Amino acid sequence: MGWFFLILWPLLGIRADGLFFAQTFSIWIKVVAACAIVLVLAQLHRAGRLEWVSRPVQALGSKVQAAYAVSPKWLLATIMLALAVAYPFLTSRYGQDVAINVLVYICLGLGLNIVVGLCGLLDLGYIAFYGVGAYTYALLSIHYDFSFWLSLPAAGVLAAAAGCIIGYPTLRMRGDYLAIVTLGFGEIVRLILNNWMSLTNGPNGILGIKAPGAWVPDFARGLSLEHVWLTRPKELYFVILGLAVFTILAVYRLNYSRIGRAWEAIREDETAAELMGVNTFLLKLLSYAMGAVFGGLAGAFFAAKMRFVSPESFTFLESAMVLAMVVLGGLGSIPGVILGVLALIALPEVFREFEMYRMLVFGGAMTLMMVVKPRGLWPAKRFGKRSEEE
Amino acid sequence: MKRFILAVLALALVAVAGCDSGPKEALKVGSMSPLTGPYAADGNDIANGVRTAIEVTQQAGGLPGFESIQLIAEDTACDPRQAVAAANKLINEGVVAVVGAYCSSSTIPASETLDQEGVVMITPASTNEKVTERGLKNMFRTCGRDDDQSIAAIKFMTDYLKAKTLFIIDDKTTYSQGLADSVEKKAAAAGIDVLGHEHVNQGDKDFSAVLTKAKEANPDVLYMSMQNSATGSLLIIQARRMGLKCAAIGQDAVYHPQFIEIAKDAAEGVYLTFGYIDKDKPAYKKFLDAYTAKYGEPGAYSAYAYDSAMALFEAIKMAKGKTDAATISANLKQLTMEGASKKMDYLENGDSGSNYIIRKVENGQFINFWDPQTGKVFEK
Amino acid sequence: MDYFLQQLINGVTLGGIYALIALGYTMVYGIIQLINFAHGEFFAAGGYIGVIFITWLSAQGLHPYVCLGLSLLLSMLYCALLAMAVEKVAYKPLRYASRLSVLLSALGMSIFLQNGLMLTQGVYDKPYPTDLTQGGFAMGGVVVSYMQIIILVLTTVLLIGLNAMVFKTRIGKAMRATAQDKVMSGLVGINSSTVISFTFAIGAALAAAAGIMVGFYYGSVNYTMGFVPGIKAFAAAVLGGIGNITGAMVGGLIIGMVEIFAAGYLSSEYKDVFAFIILIAVLYFMPTGIMGENVDDTRV
Repeated sequence: MGWFFLILWPLLGIRADGLFFAQTFSIWIKVVAACAIVLVLAQLHRAGRLEWVSRPVQALGSKVQAAYAVSPKWLLATIMLALAVAYPFLTSRYGQDVAINVLVYICLGLGLNIVVGLCGLLDLGYIAFYGVGAYTYALLSIHYDFSFWLSLPAAGVLAAAAGCIIGYPTLRMRGDYLAIVTLGFGEIVRLILNNWMSLTNGPNGILGIKAPGAWVPDFARGLSLEHVWLTRPKELYFVILGLAVFTILAVYRLNYSRIGRAWEAIREDETAAELMGVNTFLLKLLSYAMGAVFGGLAGAFFAAKMRFVSPESFTFLESAMVLAMVVLGGLGSIPGVILGVLALIALPEVFREFEMYRMLVFGGAMTLMMVVKPRGLWPAKRFGKRSEEE
Repeated sequence: MKRFILAVLALALVAVAGCDSGPKEALKVGSMSPLTGPYAADGNDIANGVRTAIEVTQQAGGLPGFESIQLIAEDTACDPRQAVAAANKLINEGVVAVVGAYCSSSTIPASETLDQEGVVMITPASTNEKVTERGLKNMFRTCGRDDDQSIAAIKFMTDYLKAKTLFIIDDKTTYSQGLADSVEKKAAAAGIDVLGHEHVNQGDKDFSAVLTKAKEANPDVLYMSMQNSATGSLLIIQARRMGLKCAAIGQDAVYHPQFIEIAKDAAEGVYLTFGYIDKDKPAYKKFLDAYTAKYGEPGAYSAYAYDSAMALFEAIKMAKGKTDAATISANLKQLTMEGASKKMDYLENGDSGSNYIIRKVENGQFINFWDPQTGKVFEK
Repeated sequence: MDYFLQQLINGVTLGGIYALIALGYTMVYGIIQLINFAHGEFFAAGGYIGVIFITWLSAQGLHPYVCLGLSLLLSMLYCALLAMAVEKVAYKPLRYASRLSVLLSALGMSIFLQNGLMLTQGVYDKPYPTDLTQGGFAMGGVVVSYMQIIILVLTTVLLIGLNAMVFKTRIGKAMRATAQDKVMSGLVGINSSTVISFTFAIGAALAAAAGIMVGFYYGSVNYTMGFVPGIKAFAAAVLGGIGNITGAMVGGLIIGMVEIFAAGYLSSEYKDVFAFIILIAVLYFMPTGIMGENVDDTRV
């Protein structure tokens, strides 16, 4: 660790105009100070000096876990849901906007979780489905004046079709060949969105997409229904909350269905699964399609929320971020993915205080979290050893 | 007598109120620009331009009714999602107005959000026509428009260069492609033969393939519409190395000191369209001194960001402490002032007019070269 | 014909650069099956450190070519050390964790290094001195610059050197053994930690060399420049057969050529689409790449 800093020093402490040490020394010093604090804490923890903090926390943690284990699932779910519903009434506009982003990424993360977490296929181009969903709604809304609610299933279906198209030629490959091919497909989709001027309007993006509409009872004029556009963050929050809850329920049910079990079998040992009579090809294709559906739904919502889509939102970095959420939270675990999303969306927003240092801190934090908790924040219970591919 | 006392009291009250009109607090303004990512260079120029405006205003005695001016600079990373998040953050902070954003694709969705909550937005850099053509009441633009810029470029080609053929390269962003398309359309109308219009992708460094194509076409003019100056300098270096000796015209995003710094000899003789800035006028000198003292040489959009902020402060001054969007917007449309970059005079739709001229790189310096208005070469 | 030849030269040069970066990718992948996202950042850091040393050394009054050579060596050495340090901090603790965890750790490091570069070196591009290398000559209508020749020569020399090292030396033998089976090679007395560290160092040194070449060839370096070539080089490494050194070279050349010829003859905006389609098509018919893979057999 010590010489890591020594090595980093020229990089973070010398300017390219020549060898000016003092000028940018400050940045290196900050990095070193931050790492030193982390290191000292880790050392103290290892030496048992932090017991006065860690023991009560651990005790609390185990109590919470015990409480979690005994209390019925429906009670916890109700509490969580109640908190989620109450959230926009307690927070400001900015808080709601961040919450909307969190929920969008929960849909994306859980969708990708089907492919990576359950079925064990590394997908680096997942954001393409998000893009397909977003553009589906955008185009339907602009050209055919489709409402958001009608377009939602269409976006899901088209994304699933895209998933099958991408899945079909790639599923013969294994491991990291799959990774680069999906990455390639993700880039191809983005480049097509950026270059097919007549359909997608290229880099200019599509403007004037309609927000989701809703019928609300209008008491002023008797019991008639009034049509409103949901454009405020508070209203949009409930739309995406609905979608996220639907996604969570669907993934939960899938996880415990025959299909989910089969996926897990493929992840653990594909050859053995095939021997046991699992149609691996069809199921792998299905995992792509199912994962894509949730990406597509989230994409349609994204288009409706921004009322503007452009290819810049669907870059490879975005795919990598969604993957990071899934892995950081814990592969194959629904609460884990939710935690991962919270960590990776909320952190950059919290780090906004650091201004220029925002992404530096974010990158460092990501590596640190991975080193400290390599299996994720909330690892799935059922995760075999074989799939670790040591 | 009673009446007299009352009147005096009332006058005194008015006087006190006049001295101390409104609450004494910090005026919050926001800025939005890509502070990280590939366009961070221009993004930081914008934020620094606004900072300079605040410093200059504070030194001149600040704004009446406000103790200080506080800048909240947000990062958009040129990503629409982050731009909207930043806009919401700024609304939350209670800013009265926002200077930004840089990429047109960030400005458009962010302005919708800001407009909903009645926050004024002044963009110093987004030149896409759609920015001010959506009927938003609180959207202003300090820089020029793409359609005007292409007119200046075409005029220069026909009147000065007497060009017959043209080759266009753009790098596929809302801004750069919009401008290139506009040039292509107008060139055809002006009787210039467009030999080719090639696109490269953002993040590319190697343009040898399209430049070989351009060389094969052998045009009179190479028009390069790039999203930033670094890409522009890469393009011109490779073009010259390839042996493409024709006249080259760039646009305002390529205009930046680092264009010359990187391209060096290759930059010599390149023409660029950029808003006319009279570098000898006092307003510009004031800006230049304040800016260079702290942030080094100003970038392409620093002066526009500075002017946007100065116009905003002027409008707030005129409003006598009122900070609602309707008043500020109305005042912005009313005011005329001599800015560092140009004469500030916002039109009804929020545009401030364009005054593009042709500049040229000569001996490692940008010089004002040709005025499309008069059709004459500037005197040195 | 001139047009074709010119595009061929463009393609070979671009391919050479991709190949240099891909070599590092493929070596690291071959030995620990890690897609090292931070590799592109070593490439960018190499470019920056190179320009720092060049400005400094030429200010000391050294001959330009001595400056060039020295700064190349110094920045290769620096990036090698940096890669070893990054490996120690971010990858070594995860040696026995899931491969995805290491992948993420690499992604985090990549973001960290990229933003570190941005904060200290500034957001503007750094210009390279151009007087040394900007010359060239014309053969008929075809222009070849000296820098293109230097890139090709350097790539070839490094490739031959690398092949010799991997197949002729003790450490090369140890590397091959570790790549094939870590447990077994440990049993016969090979310290896999050292070998892995060494592999990272070599890979990053190659990336640094590529960074300096790119700096000279294109005239500037920039903190985001590692990302796009990083992806392309990864594609090149896979295309050639991952873990296979000659394969990385072939893959780099193919990707570079496809890009240039697609841009030159078909459509410049879809050139990356063609590059990826070729990649997918090749992998569909040859699932282990053109030259075949060379990795731990126990994995699958």
